[in-house]
Amino acid sequence: MKFIPDKDILLFKSCLVNVEYPGVESSTSYIFDRIDVEYYVDERQSCCTGLGHYYDLFDQISTTALAARNFHLAAETGHKNIAVMCATCYAILKKSAKILNQNEEARNKVNQILDDSNLEKREYTLDDMDPTLNIFHVAEIFYNKRDEISSLVKVDLSSLRVATHHACHYCKVHYNDTIEGVRDPNLIDKLAEAVGVETIGWYDHKTVTCGAGFRQRFTNKEASLAVTAEKLQALKDNKVDLLLHMCPNCQMQFDRYQPYIEEKLDTEFNIFHLNISQFIALALGADPYKILGIQTHTVPIEPLLKRLNYSLETNEKIDVEAKKSPN
Amino acid sequence: MNPDSSKDISNKDLKIGVFLCRCGGNISDTVDMEKLRSSVDAEVVEEFENLCSINGRKIIRDSIIQKNLDRVVVAACSPITHEKTFQKYINPLNPYLLEMANLREQCSWVNPDVETATEKAISLVNASIEKVKYAQPLDPILRKTTKSAAVIGGGISGISASLSLARQGIKTCLIEEQPTIGGAMVKVGKLFSPEKLAEECAMCLLNPLVNEAVEHKNIKIMTNTTLKAAERRSGNFHLLIESKPRKVIEEKCISCGKCAEVCPVEVKDSWNEDMTFRKAIYKPFAQAVPDVYTIDLENCKNCGKCQEVCRMNAIDLDMEGEVIPMTVGSVVIATGHKTFDMDKRPEYSYGRHDDIVTQMELARIMGVNGPTKGKLLKPSNNKIPERVVMVQCVGSRDEKPGGRKYCSKVCCMVAIKHANVIKQHYPDTDVIICYTDMRTPGMYEKYFKYAQSNGVRLIRGRPGEVAEKDGIFTVRLEDTLSKEPLEIEADLVVLSTAMEPSDGTINVSGLLDVGLTEELFVKEKHSKIKPVATEVDGVYVCGTAQGPKDITDSIVQANAAAAKISELINGGVELEPFVASIDQSKCTLCKKCIDICKYKAAYIQDGILTVDPISCTGCGACIWECENNAIEIMGQTDEQIIATIDGMLKDKKPDEKRIIAFLDSVGYVSADNIGINKITVPSSVRIIKIPSMNRIMPKHILHAFKMGADGIIMGEYPYNPMYSHTKEKIAGLKGELVKNNINPDRLAFYKVYIPYFRGLANKFKEFDGEIKCLDTP
Repeated sequence: MKFIPDKDILLFKSCLVNVEYPGVESSTSYIFDRIDVEYYVDERQSCCTGLGHYYDLFDQISTTALAARNFHLAAETGHKNIAVMCATCYAILKKSAKILNQNEEARNKVNQILDDSNLEKREYTLDDMDPTLNIFHVAEIFYNKRDEISSLVKVDLSSLRVATHHACHYCKVHYNDTIEGVRDPNLIDKLAEAVGVETIGWYDHKTVTCGAGFRQRFTNKEASLAVTAEKLQALKDNKVDLLLHMCPNCQMQFDRYQPYIEEKLDTEFNIFHLNISQFIALALGADPYKILGIQTHTVPIEPLLKRLNYSLETNEKIDVEAKKSPN
Repeated sequence: MNPDSSKDISNKDLKIGVFLCRCGGNISDTVDMEKLRSSVDAEVVEEFENLCSINGRKIIRDSIIQKNLDRVVVAACSPITHEKTFQKYINPLNPYLLEMANLREQCSWVNPDVETATEKAISLVNASIEKVKYAQPLDPILRKTTKSAAVIGGGISGISASLSLARQGIKTCLIEEQPTIGGAMVKVGKLFSPEKLAEECAMCLLNPLVNEAVEHKNIKIMTNTTLKAAERRSGNFHLLIESKPRKVIEEKCISCGKCAEVCPVEVKDSWNEDMTFRKAIYKPFAQAVPDVYTIDLENCKNCGKCQEVCRMNAIDLDMEGEVIPMTVGSVVIATGHKTFDMDKRPEYSYGRHDDIVTQMELARIMGVNGPTKGKLLKPSNNKIPERVVMVQCVGSRDEKPGGRKYCSKVCCMVAIKHANVIKQHYPDTDVIICYTDMRTPGMYEKYFKYAQSNGVRLIRGRPGEVAEKDGIFTVRLEDTLSKEPLEIEADLVVLSTAMEPSDGTINVSGLLDVGLTEELFVKEKHSKIKPVATEVDGVYVCGTAQGPKDITDSIVQANAAAAKISELINGGVELEPFVASIDQSKCTLCKKCIDICKYKAAYIQDGILTVDPISCTGCGACIWECENNAIEIMGQTDEQIIATIDGMLKDKKPDEKRIIAFLDSVGYVSADNIGINKITVPSSVRIIKIPSMNRIMPKHILHAFKMGADGIIMGEYPYNPMYSHTKEKIAGLKGELVKNNINPDRLAFYKVYIPYFRGLANKFKEFDGEIKCLDTP
């Protein structure tokens, strides 16, 4: 298996995480701090363009140029290993690094763009960034330190019936880099296991897309939500309480639209949605509001916490943004 | 190498005859023959219209006898065309005292300008004169192989090969890893055939063959054995065979089965694809050969109950395995295949539900000696299925990770066979085959149509998933004809899994140093014109060890392999003597040459380093390794290479450019093709034929530059076993040039292929241009 670092990590900010589920970032920082991962969050970092790119608003060269700039920022602060919280960032950055290394014409064009923007010092040189050995999903960083995570568990979550949803852009795009299975992805299942939770493993539609499909969610809403509904039904058939995610876009599709689909189909799924970072942080005893940021969820998490006999009273409900990263 | 002075003088005293051929104007229209004649320094220089004619023979022979010639140079066409002819024409001289200068394909046909063509012709003739001075009388090597063979693998391919060999009087040892021979064929139950619209009983067809093998005096069947080591010795193979202890004395066991009755250990029966149980002491199936029980070492608890009931005293729990050495003349690899690991395709839910089975499991279910005695019953509930859906190309024609890109070739016919059998016995059961393409070439198409007429349904599309809900399966796919997504309900799903090389195939190939394909099947020497031969002479392959195929094709290959072995034994082999020769006084037995040789040609016998002339290609890679200069390649000695270079560069004019092209045999033919197609080549290019790039060492390159070469280009065919060393060597040679203050750009390398002669011609032009640029200040 590929080498996974635990230091010199740039925790790559994600627009969807920050806007929709900021608790994913604060949970990630919370875990990183506890398992001694050395990381940095760079306020200068720009968006990966992923959403815009897949909506056809950003072309590949702009995307690649922004990636080159971000790669340079990472190297500049000595945090050359990039860890992402969003599967779109993951696939976009890997693809950009591959283009920059393999396509000389594109590399020259990108460097020209940087020159024209007075960013000569951020020029990309061949093999500055290794798409396989420098770009990771945070779940992989956790996976590498799963034994340490296990030793820190404070909250018993084993009574929950848990299933996992692995992001397409983690499993299906750069599949040679994917760990713990592509066709039967088990990375998040293994992480759940590390905090003492046996997932249901395989279920019908396990590898199927969340349905979001970027613009499809808006331009092709019926098809998009039909896919989501099918998957939710399969989870309901398996009596699943909680679905774990690794991508904010998938999480949005399920969490934001589940009530809508329930209403449309006149049914109830009653499935909770958490990101794997939030789930691990919860197991490690993090505050559901201050760290997990469950107040930004559409499907309320409080009933789930109640089932766990989690004392919400002690954690005063506060209406603030999730905690900013310590750096 | 420094030739000693006395040898030098004797070389100068040699009487050399040079015979120039006009080739009916093909040469003389472009080359100034008069100038060529006057430039050649030899005892005899003669010129003829058609040297290859019978008259030519008389003239050459008369000159040799009258003028007492020691060596002959024929300047005519390519040696590829007429070397053999002229080797005969120089009788009474030894045939290897001839050199040819290629004035047609590599001079007059590629050099339309008379002046430069004549210059080139002179240097080609000079090179041949210089080289022939160092020629040694040699004899072609004749070898006969021992009349015995080992066949590894006791499936239908191995059994067929053994029988064919034995019937030809060749002593054959059949080595099988399992306790019984028969392989996959004994498990499949029914067979399809190219001609008949009926399924035949596999066991009924196989049994007579197995019985003949058992009874044949020339066949020794060794079950429970594997190949442990193999060494090559002058055309023979020394093998070490390891046998696992059966713990049952074969001669005493009467196969009564009392032992199995009392054995308390139950394990899954792999002969029934793990669908039934057997005991730790077992006989795989009723007709197993040899007809004896075997103790499964992994599961036996040594309780001794079997020993107590055995009236024959046939059980020996202390029996130990043994290692048996043997020497054979040839080896047949018939190690078969395995099937695709379904863990790689979790979407088909195999292993999660009992009623999702592979075709082989279905074959066992429908086999009369299988778990249901031939009845089609679902493993989960012993009920007849209402709808069977077969999924084709599971792991085959699959470019996703873990998949096999190739077509497994038999699965379409296997699916149709099983569908037909189901339809015949259970007409109410619906059978649907989901396929990518139906591949039923030749006569098999008839059987396919027959299946359709039996009501077997077909849907074009590769299922994406098999899901289960309340005991009913849903097979999801796109019908690619109607372009509609489909969900088919089924209560039995059958997966047509890909054929993969077996572990045995990979292990045995490694031990015998036989090359494998990209997919790890045994690689044939040439997949088109040298089938069943491998890269190692004397080792042949047949059956699914070579690639996916059906029983018919496996038997054809097995017979072909036996015929090739028979050729070797009866005809012997006559080989060109251009192989490595060892100076025993210099050899220190350091074994570095043995390590480098991919052809396994070098070995130590009785304390002496020996080269097997059948295996040696004369490539010269070993010379690099030999620190004591103990190795020479006959016909390509250092003296001969240096002399050829000297001849090529002799009388070079100050403003002239000369490029030496070292080409291997493929490159040389490619260069001839340039001539045949009358493509112009820069006049600077002088071609020297060498066995391999490995033969050219820094000293040769440096000598050529010292003698005035302006550039050197090396061409080699990349698909040879020693090619991996070539790249490192080119880099090394360039390094040597830098050390000697020679621009490394003066040395170029090019991959040659016979049909891509235009590419080679372009490379010559390009390189000639680059050399000219280098010298332009």
